[in-house]
Amino acid sequence: IATFLGRKLQPRPQNEVEETLKRIQGQKGVQGIIIVNAEGIPIKTTLDNSSTVQYAGLIHQLVMKARSTVRDIDPQNDLTFLRVRSKKNEIMIAPDKDYFLIVIQNPSD
Amino acid sequence: MYLKRPTAVQPLQLLTWDTCYFHYLVPTPMSPSSQSVSTTSDAGSQESVDGGTVGRTLQWDTDPSALQLQADSELGRRMHRLGASKIVQIDFVPKELVTYTKETQTPSAAHQSEEEEEDEESSELKASPQTDQPEEEGEAEDSKEAHPRELTEEEREQILHSEDFLVFFERSVSVVERALAEEGDIFFDYSGRDLEDKEGDMQGGSNLSFNRVFHDDHWSKHRVVTCLDWSPQYPELMVASYNSNEDAPHEPDGIALVWNMKFKKTTPEYTFHCQSSVMSVGQIVLWDNRSHRRTPVQRTPLSAAAHTHPVYCVNVVGTQNANNLITVSTDGKMCSWSLDMLSQPQESMELVYNKSKPVAVTGMAFPAGDVNNYVVGSEEGMVYSASRHGSKAGIAEMFEGHQGPVTGISCHNAVGTVDFSHLFITSSFDWTVKLWSIKHNKPLYSFEDNADYVYDVSWSPVHPALFASVDGMGRLDLWNLNNDTEVPTASVTIEGACALNRVRWASGGREVAVGDSEGRVWIYDVGELAVPHPEDWSHFARTLVEIRANRGDGEEEGAVELPA
Repeated sequence: IATFLGRKLQPRPQNEVEETLKRIQGQKGVQGIIIVNAEGIPIKTTLDNSSTVQYAGLIHQLVMKARSTVRDIDPQNDLTFLRVRSKKNEIMIAPDKDYFLIVIQNPSD
Repeated sequence: MYLKRPTAVQPLQLLTWDTCYFHYLVPTPMSPSSQSVSTTSDAGSQESVDGGTVGRTLQWDTDPSALQLQADSELGRRMHRLGASKIVQIDFVPKELVTYTKETQTPSAAHQSEEEEEDEESSELKASPQTDQPEEEGEAEDSKEAHPRELTEEEREQILHSEDFLVFFERSVSVVERALAEEGDIFFDYSGRDLEDKEGDMQGGSNLSFNRVFHDDHWSKHRVVTCLDWSPQYPELMVASYNSNEDAPHEPDGIALVWNMKFKKTTPEYTFHCQSSVMSVGQIVLWDNRSHRRTPVQRTPLSAAAHTHPVYCVNVVGTQNANNLITVSTDGKMCSWSLDMLSQPQESMELVYNKSKPVAVTGMAFPAGDVNNYVVGSEEGMVYSASRHGSKAGIAEMFEGHQGPVTGISCHNAVGTVDFSHLFITSSFDWTVKLWSIKHNKPLYSFEDNADYVYDVSWSPVHPALFASVDGMGRLDLWNLNNDTEVPTASVTIEGACALNRVRWASGGREVAVGDSEGRVWIYDVGELAVPHPEDWSHFARTLVEIRANRGDGEEEGAVELPA
């Protein structure tokens, strides 16, 4: 099988993050993606600034509360995923020790 | 925690000599003696450390019931800045703030302080005991104002590149994608939908219907799908192998991707790399899924004892516990490996026909349940039956019929009332698919409906008379021999695909996976067509009889082959 002389392989990590975000953003109904750090500060977002800040702050508090709820009920348990379904859309949050990934989707799109 | 009314503090009272009620500071110049109170409160209204510094006009309110909240800008502000301060007496209902502080049961003042417009305003009195709590005032305010604060661009970049973040990202993205892809509105109301439902059913009933396509832009683009297989353990997983990507020579030459049918996300679950083009993938993935590395855990070495030519086929034979890996390559060598020891084949054999010509094998298949005998297709268009052990080890018989290289070969493996395991089908560059029986060295039947190279055929694992074939024009055909032997019962041309390389049935026989030359894996639901009925077996037996009868005598029987 013949091979062509090459295209240079792009550096992976950064490229992957951007591409992955674009890919998710392009999926059906996805309205926005925000990555927030443990303090609630947005790191990466596909929404406008004011929405991002608003979502980040509010969701951060929500996740903290949800997490403490889970932990209070059973200290060995921990929050792994949070989905908030509302009339207009759905917010999915994948929390971690240091970061959250927030995806806002309108499922009927 | 709510604002402490004095009454609520009752339980605490025994602790101080001053009968600790919560006292409010009021700027009425009363006897300054009660300054000492400042240090009392146990649970902490940590009244200021500097209780006595300022000769201020504040005093404990001896009548605790009166909620007189005074502006205490002086006290509150002395830590922060020496701004202008006003003392304003205002009767004010405290804002109820729910906060979670560790020690005290007083709301955190920082919240208040941030809302204050500088030194204005009537803060709660509560603010005052707390202000010293964050000694580092500046940060206290800031940390509460995390939202407006932004990370600098460099900080962001740094985070985005950090190992921690990437691990989190990869994992979370996987989870979120699965969640995203779950359609299925939990609120859906079926009552309004009966009609549509029926329509959906009907559609699935007859034909091939498109299910989905697996394609990964990064990995599978420009690669030819060389082999597909379904996982026996997790029926929703399938693995596809791809050969080298011409456009990106720096990428690994061969990769295998594991796709998950159950979750609808469109990215592969795992990716594996390999140094050379992966030509075929057996049911046992040579890469251990548990270790998260991307390179093969075990690999057979390139040695003269093993294969020096491309390995075209891999098959696992035997039972769950005692099994062997059989590989065949284009140099005519067949090796059998034990999975525990892949450094050397257990046995190897040269496949030569008539003791002279090595067979360039392009396809191999084992009849159901047989671990010794198998059939191989070759580049010259011949099909041979061979056996691994026994007196006639090696090539036994030759089946002539095809005029071009044999591209795919599949043995009948649907188990039912009648045994058809002597049947196999082959596909070839000569545009035909032929049906054979081990017992005859000429084909039983030839299917001539294609107009291009036929690249692969595969029997359905459940239906005795059903098989699928794919050709170079992007066509996927399903033949039901009980139905019609002249034309396929169902056929679909996959749009956007060029040539289809591989076809494999899912273990349940309801879906077919097709790989194309662009690196895409298409999954098709087969629907009703795939479900066998008990009489299908006897029907097929009759069909076979008819086929043989119709074969005509143009092709004489030839020697009846002994099952080698």
